[in-house]
Amino acid sequence: MSTLLPPPKELAMLPVDWVEERSGAISFGKFMLFRNVPKDISWLQTLGSALITVFILQATTGIILAMYYQPTPETAWMTIQWITNEATLGWLVRGMHKWGSSVMVVLLFLHMGRTFLFGAYKYPREMTWITGAIIFILVMGMSFTGYLLVFDERAYWATIVGVNINGTAPILGPALSYILMVGPEIGTHTLSRFYSLHMLVLPSAIGGLIFLHMLLVVRLGVTSPPWSRMEPTERDV
Amino acid sequence: MPRLTARERREGYQREYAFQQRHGKPFFPHVVFHDTIVSLIVVALIMGITVLWYAQFGAIPTDPMAERTGGLLGPAYEAKADPGVLGYHPQPDWYFFFLFELLRIFKTPQLLIVGTIIIPTIWMVLLIGWPFIDRNPDRRLSRRPIALSIGVMVPIVLLTLTFYGSKVPAEGGVASTEPGAAAFAAGACSTCHVLANAGTAGNVGPVLDEAKPDYATALALITNGQGSMPSFKATYTEDEISCLAGYVATWSAAVGTTPGPGAATAKDYPASCEKAGGIFAGTPSSAAGP
Repeated sequence: MSTLLPPPKELAMLPVDWVEERSGAISFGKFMLFRNVPKDISWLQTLGSALITVFILQATTGIILAMYYQPTPETAWMTIQWITNEATLGWLVRGMHKWGSSVMVVLLFLHMGRTFLFGAYKYPREMTWITGAIIFILVMGMSFTGYLLVFDERAYWATIVGVNINGTAPILGPALSYILMVGPEIGTHTLSRFYSLHMLVLPSAIGGLIFLHMLLVVRLGVTSPPWSRMEPTERDV
Repeated sequence: MPRLTARERREGYQREYAFQQRHGKPFFPHVVFHDTIVSLIVVALIMGITVLWYAQFGAIPTDPMAERTGGLLGPAYEAKADPGVLGYHPQPDWYFFFLFELLRIFKTPQLLIVGTIIIPTIWMVLLIGWPFIDRNPDRRLSRRPIALSIGVMVPIVLLTLTFYGSKVPAEGGVASTEPGAAAFAAGACSTCHVLANAGTAGNVGPVLDEAKPDYATALALITNGQGSMPSFKATYTEDEISCLAGYVATWSAAVGTTPGPGAATAKDYPASCEKAGGIFAGTPSSAAGP
């Protein structure tokens, strides 16, 4: 009888083994967790992971906001008002999304500054820097498109000035302004276009680039600090 | 520092990578521990600012269309966007202040593109292409004097621009009683333009006392906008725009010369102001007025 079923310990491992055999997910997870990183990295190398945390926070609060927000000139401001004043903890969700964006920009600067000062963009990590730089520019795009969505006075006029700035570019400028605003002025379609860019186009682009960025970091190994010496540790003695 | 050959460079990296594999520390628990602590601090910081932001709000306004005010950290929301509202302050979020300040520096129409397109484009190209510009293989700061000075200078420049970009327009003087002056001072014009007669000190756009646009130019600019200047078609009626254009043409031309009408092109000024009525009407000074 008992030969029909394996012992409980093995039984518990069955689904794990099943997944591992078909995907290699378990050994991949083990590799990610137990891969070696330089022994002298510390607090200064935590900014990248903090940025991923803020990105996840922005995505989560953004999804919740999208459940209530309606991107039309008539309803946008009303739904923002309702989220802030009426919805249970709506102010917290909206506030964390709003302030999270500021914190993200500050962290991006610090992360980039650290990479710069440590020379961590040098061979063979040029592509890691380039993906990061593009992420930075796209995050600024997130800030710009998100600013209009509140649809209050300040958002409205700041967006007009911002779009007009794009419009001063030679040749492509006026067309770019027209495409951004979906016409000569801010209207119904401007809001839904900015909303679509803000919650579909830019976040997926940023998410994809973060994935590439991390892939490169894992593949090339974390950079040790410039003052690091290649000397044996006690373990080797 | 002598240039390394491609092979030396590759072998140097491989040696370092192999050393890291052999003598490094495992990602878990060391890095995971540091990362978790910092991430928790960051999330707590965001929550903390949000709570402070919420705590400084005024009461929910009884008027359903009104702004919900705040203190140092800003309002919950301003009044609903309305292109028909006279006064406006196009202040971007703080991380665009540097760009806003560039607008102020390159405010004349000929130079505008330097601030709006050329400098930002150069910055973006430098940012993305930096690994190809800095070919010095050394990573120690003591051996990278040029990179270090750039790395110190760029934040200083950006912080300075951000600081000055955050400043709201300076308080101007008192508006005259000429027709159009009060509307100019109270409306959107004052945010960006200096015009002595209206007592405004906005420093985003061109100084009108110096630019001295004629009536036709002013009319076209207010109606259609140009560069970063918005179009005010939806904000003002035709009479109101005509009044403002006439006012600007007349009183910018009057600066530096004997007071009086300098812009003969402003034919229907101040008649258009009287027609627009309200804040646009005024009492022309009989001595100096047109």
